[in-house]
Amino acid sequence: MSMRIDELEFSKVISEDLIQLDLKATSKIEVIEELTNLLYVNGFISDEEGFIKDVMYRENEGVTGLEKGIAIPHGKSAYVLKTSIAIGRTKKQIEWESMDGNPINIIILFAVKDTDKTTTHIKLLQKVAVLLSDEEKIEQFQILQTKEEILHLLSRNL
Amino acid sequence: MNIVGISACTSGIAHTYIAKEKLIKAGIEFGHKVRIETQGTIGIEDELTKEEIEAADLVIIAADIKVSGKERFKGKRIVEIPTNIAIKAPKQLYKKIEAELNSKP
Repeated sequence: MSMRIDELEFSKVISEDLIQLDLKATSKIEVIEELTNLLYVNGFISDEEGFIKDVMYRENEGVTGLEKGIAIPHGKSAYVLKTSIAIGRTKKQIEWESMDGNPINIIILFAVKDTDKTTTHIKLLQKVAVLLSDEEKIEQFQILQTKEEILHLLSRNL
Repeated sequence: MNIVGISACTSGIAHTYIAKEKLIKAGIEFGHKVRIETQGTIGIEDELTKEEIEAADLVIIAADIKVSGKERFKGKRIVEIPTNIAIKAPKQLYKKIEAELNSKP
C-alpha cells in the first residue's frame, strides 16, 4: 500500500474534530460521555447511550489503562457508523484501572464498527494501540500542546 | 531460544497487538527469537508456520480467550498467561521462564 493511501485512510480515522484537549470530566464515566458526545456530534456514532453501554461493557472485561497516564477504552458497537478514534486530555487525573496503577489523563477512545469489513481502519487502530504502549511515545504525548502536534505524532509513527 | 506464541484478547482490537509487541521487544533484549501470531477481531495475522513451530523451544500463549489451533503445539513446552502479564511485565515474564527452565534438571 502506498504512503498516500495510508495518509488518506489515517485522516478518515483520526482528525482534529475528534480531539479535545480540555476535557471537563473528573471521572471515568464522564470522560467516556464527553468523548462519546464528540463522536456523536461529528457523525461517527448513531446513539450515545447505546455506544456508552458497549464501551462500559468492555471496561468490565478488563483493564484499559496502560502506563503513564494513557487509557484506551474501546467499544465495538452496532452504534458506530464509522470506525474512528476520539482523543481527550483531562486537567484532573482520573481514577482508572491501569497497568502501572497510576491515574489517567490522556484517553484514546476507539469506536469500532460492529461489522467493519474495512480491515485497513482496524489495522490503523491496532497501530495506534501499539504506539501508545511505547514509553517514549507516551512521554512525547504527554507534553504535546496542540491538536496538530498530536496528529503529527500519530501519523508520523504509524 | 526460539519462541513462538499466540496473543488474543477479548475484543481483539488493542491488547492483542500490544501484547505481541511487548513480547517481541522484551524477547529480543533477552536474546530470544520471538514470533507471535495474533488472533484478533480481523482474524489471524502473522500465522505461525509449521517449520517455526517445529523449531520452537517454547510456546507462549498470551490470551484472555480461547485461542484456536493449540493442537499445533503438541509436545511443546507451553507457557499460558493473560495478555496483561505480557503488557505489564514482559521482562519479568522472560526472567521467570528462564529461572524455571534452569531449575529443571
